[in-house]
Amino acid sequence: MKQDFFSRTDVRGALVGLAVGLVLALGLPFLPGVGAGLALRTLTVCAIYALAAAGVGVLYGRLGLVSIMQIGLVAVGGWATLRIYHATHLPFEVVMVLAALVTAVVGVLVGLPALRLSGLSLAIVTLMVAGALEVLVTYAGFPNGGNGFLGRVSGGTLAVIMPRPGLGQSDDEFFRYVGVVVVVVLALLRWLLMVRPGRTWAAIRQGEAGAVSLGVNTVAHRLLALAVTSAVTGVAGALLAAGSGILDPASFKAQQSVLLFATVLIGGAFSLLGAVIGGLFFYGMPQLLSTVGLDGNLVFVVLGLGLVQAVTTAQAGIAGQLAELWRRLRPRLWPRPRREVTV
Amino acid sequence: MNLLPFVVAGLVIGSVYALSGVGVLVLYRTTGVLNFAHGAVGGMAALLVWQTVELRMQPPVAIALGIAAGAAIAFLFGLVAGPSLARVDQLRKAIATLGLALALLGVMLFVWNDKARTMRLETSRISFDVAGARVNVTQLVCLALALLVVVGTLLALRHTSMGTSMRALASDRELAAVVGTNVRLVENTAWAVSGAVAGISGILLADQTRLEPAFLTFLIIPELAAVVIGRFVSLWLTLVGGLAVGVGQSLVSAWPTVSAFSTAVPFVVATIVILVATRRRVVTVGVVRA
Repeated sequence: MKQDFFSRTDVRGALVGLAVGLVLALGLPFLPGVGAGLALRTLTVCAIYALAAAGVGVLYGRLGLVSIMQIGLVAVGGWATLRIYHATHLPFEVVMVLAALVTAVVGVLVGLPALRLSGLSLAIVTLMVAGALEVLVTYAGFPNGGNGFLGRVSGGTLAVIMPRPGLGQSDDEFFRYVGVVVVVVLALLRWLLMVRPGRTWAAIRQGEAGAVSLGVNTVAHRLLALAVTSAVTGVAGALLAAGSGILDPASFKAQQSVLLFATVLIGGAFSLLGAVIGGLFFYGMPQLLSTVGLDGNLVFVVLGLGLVQAVTTAQAGIAGQLAELWRRLRPRLWPRPRREVTV
Repeated sequence: MNLLPFVVAGLVIGSVYALSGVGVLVLYRTTGVLNFAHGAVGGMAALLVWQTVELRMQPPVAIALGIAAGAAIAFLFGLVAGPSLARVDQLRKAIATLGLALALLGVMLFVWNDKARTMRLETSRISFDVAGARVNVTQLVCLALALLVVVGTLLALRHTSMGTSMRALASDRELAAVVGTNVRLVENTAWAVSGAVAGISGILLADQTRLEPAFLTFLIIPELAAVVIGRFVSLWLTLVGGLAVGVGQSLVSAWPTVSAFSTAVPFVVATIVILVATRRRVVTVGVVRA
């Protein structure tokens, strides 16, 4: 059985992805040009948003659920991180896990009513939540060491900044830290997709009636998915908070949630590679455009039209097209002897 | 505290939500597309009106131009994306319009940046007192127009041939095509009409609230709440829903302690309606094509 497990193509693909991810996470800071300064900081944030993108991707690609509130949940994760840190001064790793749990609870509470209805109502409700969270976050701000529940300093008091985790003090150390956390979380998510919950999710997506007839509790499994993806998104919020120690409500607008959804569908919702591409598009592309002197707002136009195209014609996104390319190229690069198939 | 001004303001905003919601509803029933870009189309129209008035165009002409632009944008999207959208499920149709919303928002931010502007229609300068609340003519126009559009839509759906075709499509697209309905023509008409409605409501909302791209784009949220309250079928309930959401938001914003939560009103209302409206979802046999 053990050998069977490792010869499964999805398992091998996941292991290759894990290895590539770890090499990138640890090796990228050594590269000249991209390995320092603004480029590295941008890549760090891209990697963090890949987690949020993975949340959207798993929900849409594996369960057919549309969640347009993911950036709001990142804000919830970041808020919880700062709140818990300023209240307890626990090590960052503990705070991160707690923040992920808080985000999971919020995600489930929001999605619970809508899950009983069609997929369209979840899309509507999550869009409404995105709008509401944007205003709430702007109103409440992020804790910066003040008193009270909101934890805001007022008047002339200096804001307290949450220090970076002990293992990631400098920029390149922090990139490696983020990289390892992202790879580990994505690996856990991939593992979850390969074992029973993931297969049940796939069964629900294939046909709900079939899943119900097999005795699957579809609402419970959808809730599990919401909880897992929200927790992953909460981790993204925690890492974002750790990066700068302080967060700005202006980075969590409702249109960012829509943008993230667009990048995930363009990147490819059926694989975690698509999530990584989505993260790169989401945060890297505006930076790239402003570096070459173009208005960052054009990203909305490009990605918006890309979303229409992805929905209508290219369902598997860029990741799907890359996988197709690989399937075509591989026999030419490494021709294999044709195996005899006995029936 | 005198709550009457808040109730009046809420009723006015709510009537525009309802007006806009009718546009969303007609398009949704006819083509199956729940248009998330409805607010963005309205924002585009409002900004065009603002821009052309700044360029010294006569306001009535500018407004007509804005409404025509709204209709044109929606019509073009329906024309180009409609055939592909007809082949995908309802959720994907809705998602595609999310892309349109994003693209329109990008264009607006690119051309006009995200500064909050104000736009005052000529009619807003004439105002009078009603029982201690100040009411201007634009607000009366909002209320009257919402009522007019609901009644007009009901009559048009019942008594014109285009309305009959729309109801046929809403009932069963395939069957309507079989009996000889010109599906594309009807759908394109629905897109254009809903675009015009979006333009009108966008201009009115820009006058009543503020002229800011992202803000106007996300006014789709309370508009959708109105449609949800109308259970995606009823025009009258959509009107009631719009008014309820508008008044609710306005009243919540009257108290300083909870005023920040007023944007959560559509979410709370829609969630309650979703919970109450249907007890169980119907599981249908079907295979998702990836």
